[in-house]
Amino acid sequence: MPVSLADILALLPEILLSLGALLLMMTEVFLAGARRGYQALLAALFTAAAFAAFLAQRGGGPRVLFGGFAVSDGFALFAGATICAGLLVTVVLGAGFLAPRSAERGEFYALALLAAAGMCLLVRAEDLLFVFIALELMSVPTYALVAYLRTGDRPSEAAFKYFLLGAFSSALFLYGAALVFGATGRTSLSGIAAAGGGKLLLAGLALVIAGLSFKIAAVPFHMWAPDVYEGASTPVTAFMAVGVKAASFAVLTRILVTAFGAPALAAVWQPLVVALALLTMVFGNLLALTQRNVKRMLAYSSVAHAGYLLVAVAAASRGFSGPSARGEAVSSLLFYLAAYTLTTAGAFGALAALERMGPDPQPWDLDRFAGLAKRRPWAAAATAMLMLSLAGIPPTVGFIGKLLVFKAAVDAGLVPLAIAGVLASVVGLYYYLRVVVVMYMQPAPLGSVPTPASWPLDLVLVATATLVLLFGLAPAGLANAALSSTGLLGG
Amino acid sequence: MILPSAYLVVGALLFGLGLCGVLVRRNALTAFMSVELMLNAANLTFLAFARHPLRGAPSLDGSAIAFFVIAVAAAEASVGLAVVIAVFRSRGTVEIDALRSLRH
Repeated sequence: MPVSLADILALLPEILLSLGALLLMMTEVFLAGARRGYQALLAALFTAAAFAAFLAQRGGGPRVLFGGFAVSDGFALFAGATICAGLLVTVVLGAGFLAPRSAERGEFYALALLAAAGMCLLVRAEDLLFVFIALELMSVPTYALVAYLRTGDRPSEAAFKYFLLGAFSSALFLYGAALVFGATGRTSLSGIAAAGGGKLLLAGLALVIAGLSFKIAAVPFHMWAPDVYEGASTPVTAFMAVGVKAASFAVLTRILVTAFGAPALAAVWQPLVVALALLTMVFGNLLALTQRNVKRMLAYSSVAHAGYLLVAVAAASRGFSGPSARGEAVSSLLFYLAAYTLTTAGAFGALAALERMGPDPQPWDLDRFAGLAKRRPWAAAATAMLMLSLAGIPPTVGFIGKLLVFKAAVDAGLVPLAIAGVLASVVGLYYYLRVVVVMYMQPAPLGSVPTPASWPLDLVLVATATLVLLFGLAPAGLANAALSSTGLLGG
Repeated sequence: MILPSAYLVVGALLFGLGLCGVLVRRNALTAFMSVELMLNAANLTFLAFARHPLRGAPSLDGSAIAFFVIAVAAAEASVGLAVVIAVFRSRGTVEIDALRSLRH
């Protein structure tokens, strides 16, 4: 395997993230007595550097790295930048959330940076072995992060559920990869596409899709999501909802389009993905309807959003649509991922800002939002903007994202699926707007103690809400960036 | 001489056993062991296909993957056992049915 310096330089974002993680662990060894405020700053600096490295690489054309193990193409760079943006929000959330709880440690940031390095490697993986290793590099630190804040029973329980189902899904994926390897004799995605295969390949494909469906929390593989999202500390939940989902969607799309993009195979997986999308949109929204616990509501909402993203994946199947329609679908997926990342990370930030210290039987009840508009008008306005974006109401970026995804579905001939998606998102209006109504229309319950404001959390809220509005009013820049990032190497 | 397909059958059986184990067993450690069984089933399948490919010449790709999977599974096991210990410390049992504080 020929390795050149250019190959290693192409992995600069991942190297920066890993270096940052190692450095943060060292600070915990050598500077443990000192105040820890600098750790968040350090983590944010390395994350911003990785983000900048992704942007800086956008100029060059697509390249194969390490003799075909990984690629550097527009798709990977856009998804990687999105992941780094999600990580940046997580780091700031972590600083604002953990410091008042005296739980700020270098490990938290180190684990998050390592997991993000895994995610960034995952989105550029071009070989089943590379996919598996990156998948595990993403998952294993995340299991530990879920158990990070060890107060009460919830985090360890959530960590166990996430670990068991995460390891289970990795094993499903790996066995599927073994069958694909057996059917084709290849492990590289483009090699698999060139080789083709029979029933064994289809069995492997089904297992690979099932394994990744757990990671993206698609119905019926979503059972773990509400429990794990609720039990993990809120910054970690934001990280899982944003980073893990974005990276898993990117790799799922790459595998399906690159390795299984032949028309005969696409005819097999497209109906599967359509069915998953339909189930996920319908059940994600219906299950979110009944939740008074806002954290669980947001968990189901992230399941529902996986459904909309699956619509874009289904539209990207090459067998039914031409190359231009596929480009449109992939770009809508990327745009939606970016929009979803901003909005969801911000929404969990709103939740973190309202969470009380100390034991609390119902920390995330809808009542916590009551009277927020009077108490903290700016935070309430930002939260309202994020909820509107999640619901897909103009002038927010969430609306543009849904518009692009459903348009791509219609252009790919999936009109019924697009209609189902629109209807499902109408159901979603109810539970998102309910939060806004409670904030603005209901007075705070008598005797309730408001949570003190924390500037990093307010910063996250205002920054994400501003960006959501900005990209909603002027989406052309982001949409063009997504449109020029659809070149999947080998696809 | 053992037929090449025998390895695949054993791999499939191990995978099926692991799958059933995760879904049926109510003890955290047993469920965890079942996942390890599934990973090893995948490993065996990779090795069998590497040694006796259905098409083309035997390649080292499958064997290389098996080595990586062993290392990754070890890392996963260490984090997994730490999580199981955290569960045991917080409630004194590792029965999955006792994990019900996160239920609607």
